[in-house]
Amino acid sequence: MNEQQSSGTSQGSIAPDPVVGRTAVDREVIDVKVDYLPAPAPFVRKYKDETTIETVRTDAMNFFGVKDYQDRNIHKFFLEFEGRVLENTSETLEQLLGPHRRSAHFNLIERVTQG
Amino acid sequence: MGVSYPAIGRWLFAEGVLQQTIEGIRAIGQSEKEAGAFWLGKREQTAHVSFVVLPHGIGVEESCGRWVVSAEVFGAITRWAKPRDLCLLGVAHSHLRGVPPVLSWTDRNLGVRVPGLIAAVIGNAGEDADYRRWGWYVFEGEEYRRFTREEITNRISIDSSGKFEVWMADSKGVHVWETR
Repeated sequence: MNEQQSSGTSQGSIAPDPVVGRTAVDREVIDVKVDYLPAPAPFVRKYKDETTIETVRTDAMNFFGVKDYQDRNIHKFFLEFEGRVLENTSETLEQLLGPHRRSAHFNLIERVTQG
Repeated sequence: MGVSYPAIGRWLFAEGVLQQTIEGIRAIGQSEKEAGAFWLGKREQTAHVSFVVLPHGIGVEESCGRWVVSAEVFGAITRWAKPRDLCLLGVAHSHLRGVPPVLSWTDRNLGVRVPGLIAAVIGNAGEDADYRRWGWYVFEGEEYRRFTREEITNRISIDSSGKFEVWMADSKGVHVWETR
C-alpha cells in the first residue's frame, strides 16, 4: 500500500529536537495510522502518547479533506479502533492503548445523525 | 499536506460487478425497499471496479424511500478493504418503481463526499438492467454532478471478462455473499 507520510505540526505530533535522537518531551511515541475507505493512502504520523484522540481525529480529517458539518442532519467523523467507535475524544492515546503500546491503527468513519 | 485523490478518467467495471449489484438489490426492491452496493477497486486514471460489497442486515436501513448504511458498517468494510489495498470508488442504490433514477437531496448529502467518487441510481427497484439508463453522478468540487449521456458512453466501460468478487457486509463484518 502506498503510504503517505503527512507533515504538519499540530499539537501532540512530534516536532524535531535540536539534539539529534531525542524528542522534545520524554514521552512514549506512538506510530499512528488512519485509514479512510475512499482514500488511496492512509494518514501516518507519530504522536506523543499524551495526545488526545481529538487531535488525531482532526489531523486525519484535514489529511483526507473531510470535515464535520451540519445541514438538515449532523455529520460527524469518528475514529474507530478495533471495531469500536471512539466517542470520548478527550481520551489520550496512552489511556486508550495502555502505557507500552507503540502503534495504533484507526479507521475514519462518518456518522450522520438526523436533525 | 493532505492525501491526493488521483483523478479518474474512466471507470472500467467487471461485467459481473454490475450484474451482481442488480441481483443483490433486486430481491429487496421487490419488497418495496431501497437497497444498494459499494463498488471497490484500485483508484487510478482508469479505475478498475472489481469488487462489489452489498451492505445488508445489522446496521443497514432498507426501507421505502430510504437506504442508509451506518458508520459501523462503513468501518467494517474499511477493516476488510484496506488490507486488500482497495478503495471505495462508487456507491449504487435503487429507487422504487416510478421514482426517477436521480439523486435526491438526501442521497446527495448522506453519501460519501470525496472527489471522483461516483454514485449510481438504479431505477425501478433494480429492474433496470441496462446501466446506461441509470443515473450516474460524480462528486466534483462540493457536490455531485450528473453525467451526460456522452460521459456515460465515454467514461463508463464494461469488461465482459473481468474478474470480480461479491461480498456482503453488516456491522459485524464482511462475509461471503450468499444469494438472497
